[in-house]
Amino acid sequence: MKKLIIVTIIISIFVGLGTAAAAAEEVNLYTNRHYDTDEEILNRFTEETGIEVNVLKGDSDQLIERIAREGKNSPADVLITADAGRLHRAKERDILQSVSTETLTQNVPANLRDEDNYWYGLTIRGRVIVYSKDRVDPEDLAGYGDLTSDQWQDKIVVRSSENIYNQSLLASLVSIYGEKWAEDWAAGIVDNMARKPQGNDRAQATAVAAGEGDLAIMNTYYLGKMINSDNPAEVEVAENVGIHFPDGENGTHINVSGAGVVKNAPNKDNAVKLLEYLSSASAQKFFASANYEYPVNPEVEASELLQSWGDFETQNINLTELGIHNQTAVRIFNRVGWQ
Amino acid sequence: MQLLKKLKKASPGWFLLTVGIIILLLIPNLNIIINLFGEAGENWEHVRNYLLVNYFQNSLILVLATGLLAAFLGAGLAWVIAAYNFPGRDFLSWGLILPLAIPPYIGAYVYQGMFSYTGPLQTFLRNKFQLRLSQQYFDFMNIRGAIFIYTIFLFPYVFLMTRAFLSKQSASLLESSRLLGKSDNTIFFKIILPLSRGAVVAGSSLVMMEVLNDYGVVKYFGISTFTTAIFKSWFGMGDLPTSVRLAVMAMLVIFVVLFIEKLLRGGRKYSYSTSNIRPVSRRKLEGSRKVLAQLFTYGVFFFGFLLPTVQLLYWSFLSRGGGLMETLHFAFTSFLTGGGAAVLILTGAVIIATTARMSSNFVSNLLARITILGYSIPGAVIAVGVLLFMLQLDGVLSFLQTGFGIEANVVLSSTLVMLIFAYAVRFMGIAFNSVNSGYEKIGESYFEASRTLGKGVTETFFKIDLPMLKPALMSGFLLVFIEIMKELPLTMILRPFNFDTLATKAFEYASDEMIYRAADLSLVLIFFSAAAIYLITHHRRRKNNAVRN
Repeated sequence: MKKLIIVTIIISIFVGLGTAAAAAEEVNLYTNRHYDTDEEILNRFTEETGIEVNVLKGDSDQLIERIAREGKNSPADVLITADAGRLHRAKERDILQSVSTETLTQNVPANLRDEDNYWYGLTIRGRVIVYSKDRVDPEDLAGYGDLTSDQWQDKIVVRSSENIYNQSLLASLVSIYGEKWAEDWAAGIVDNMARKPQGNDRAQATAVAAGEGDLAIMNTYYLGKMINSDNPAEVEVAENVGIHFPDGENGTHINVSGAGVVKNAPNKDNAVKLLEYLSSASAQKFFASANYEYPVNPEVEASELLQSWGDFETQNINLTELGIHNQTAVRIFNRVGWQ
Repeated sequence: MQLLKKLKKASPGWFLLTVGIIILLLIPNLNIIINLFGEAGENWEHVRNYLLVNYFQNSLILVLATGLLAAFLGAGLAWVIAAYNFPGRDFLSWGLILPLAIPPYIGAYVYQGMFSYTGPLQTFLRNKFQLRLSQQYFDFMNIRGAIFIYTIFLFPYVFLMTRAFLSKQSASLLESSRLLGKSDNTIFFKIILPLSRGAVVAGSSLVMMEVLNDYGVVKYFGISTFTTAIFKSWFGMGDLPTSVRLAVMAMLVIFVVLFIEKLLRGGRKYSYSTSNIRPVSRRKLEGSRKVLAQLFTYGVFFFGFLLPTVQLLYWSFLSRGGGLMETLHFAFTSFLTGGGAAVLILTGAVIIATTARMSSNFVSNLLARITILGYSIPGAVIAVGVLLFMLQLDGVLSFLQTGFGIEANVVLSSTLVMLIFAYAVRFMGIAFNSVNSGYEKIGESYFEASRTLGKGVTETFFKIDLPMLKPALMSGFLLVFIEIMKELPLTMILRPFNFDTLATKAFEYASDEMIYRAADLSLVLIFFSAAAIYLITHHRRRKNNAVRN
């Protein structure tokens, strides 16, 4: 009996392997997103087009590395990942190809896609200043540059520089103000930190609510997640902090989660269809709101919660710049000791 | 004698099979080591100038502190369990292994979740007593917190090895010392600890390897170590040569620590053997000493298993059992993959161990070293080696297919074959050790008798050895099964399409701070591992009882 069970297990595994590659019309998607709504959106795509979607989820950087290692044999058709810096890295590693259709050009504004059309942004997040409603007057807040002033000595909490969001923020500042300015800025933030960088963005908002610091630098969607948390204490935290969109000389740093067609995509046509679908008005609303993000498609309105935070000016750069200056940013962080 | 030696020679079939498996295990490792001799990566200079000192310090502190603490905790508990009787002792003798069922990264999320500002403890203090304490008392996400997490969830390695050693070795020494009027404390520090030093060090070095290879905890706590650096330079900078250099340096840290221990030990040998092996007669504890022993043992059990599990149950309850079908689906995948892979790995281990047994000491030692190699290299690094190897293999396959005009188009590098192979590279050492210790217990006389009576090696193996090996196979299978259930980096990097295990899914949710959703998955994972631990310990115990009666 025992032997029978073991044999059955082994056989079923190998049978399972063999049947994987049967469907006729399919597209293989490598993605870092893992939201339940994605499944529904992809199912709807299959219903409308008859194209099956195979999904491989994973950590963004590891997916990129995997596609690169798989080389010309890679089954990957579409790569979805967060952060323009990373998308640019994927382009540099020569794993994406340029695609351009009228629909895509219409759906995705020029500054939110690669300048050579290697990748397209799908959802937008802002990196904003979150402040304690008790201790900070929002009138005192301006742009990112003002965070280095003495007024915020030992008041700022922010996560580690190993995180791509901070790297892209600094890269945007390098692009706008130059490397020297950016290095001084990073050093100024390190001086004003209330504690060593630790935890993720959500932990920074919590630290502000708990009184460890007065200001946190974090992404917008984390606040959305906290407001909708199952944990009442987290909702309370979100209610005790305010959100400030940096303004001043240059606007708020925005970034995208986006997608590109893989260089050796075996199902290129289907890949393009998937990209068009995800940027279309009907998919955008759900795709963006699943993670409390802003849609890229100008025809689609942001969710009510996001609208309640108000409008804001964005940095006036093409997001490709974030990728170009990423290495500079990483090295600045290491030099100024931003852990 | 000459004849016997000849009879013990492995048959060519066994030998060839072993050589084949060993070559398969070695290629991915070689793929990596080759990178070491190439040119340094472009980022190496920068890493060395600004970051290396920090990586080195953090890794060394983590490894040393956890290694030491786990050694004392594990040895102390093993001593209390081996030498005393008190209410609950029988349960704790296996209950204290249960913390191994909780992967450290899940433990880290649970503890941080419990003590954070928004966690149940602080929320309770705030709402009930209007108590707002400074956050520094609850700060878990630092090196001290990581040391606590690693120690409390990994010490069972030391506990297991030391307890097994004590139950075999110390009866008469212990009784002599007691008769000579030594206090129990003196006995522990002067006799037991030095005597079981080998076992404690062996367990503790397993703990240190786990700490050095762990990615989940340090990533979450934001501590820069060699492992995070390997990921950073490889995935963040796309610089494999630099990450391989870091991996080799990380292994050096362990070698240095073990070397220093060897130096301190000097030429002294602490092993002590007697033909008169019998179980230690346990002393019954009364009064304050009973309470003390219970506080100590139950306390560790509480923090290492009960508290995190109850917290997960509570979170799972709060999430209102959402995604039950999803959880079952992942449980099924994990169970099937873990079970299937463990069977294959055990089969390989039995082949190698059987050949090793029939070979010279030198060869069998060499085989043991090679099989454990995969366990001492960070999982992420093995993943690259395996991926490269599979891609090379796919190249050969597609060449053969076009050559022979077959249209099968087999591609291994995007299937479960690749992942299971990677598991084999990583965990073969564990399986091999189990089988090998099984063979050591059996001894060679049955084998020799069967061979002298004219049976072939293969026939002897199936008729004599295999039935007697069963308990060792069982515990080897379960150990590998637990490791695969908990495994993270290999699965994350090498899995095929539409494939998720309990571990990867729980990690995804948890790193997204959706700890409530991660709770169900973690609980099922812990349940499987705990059940496996129960089976291992109780299988052995039944056997021991049978022998004793």
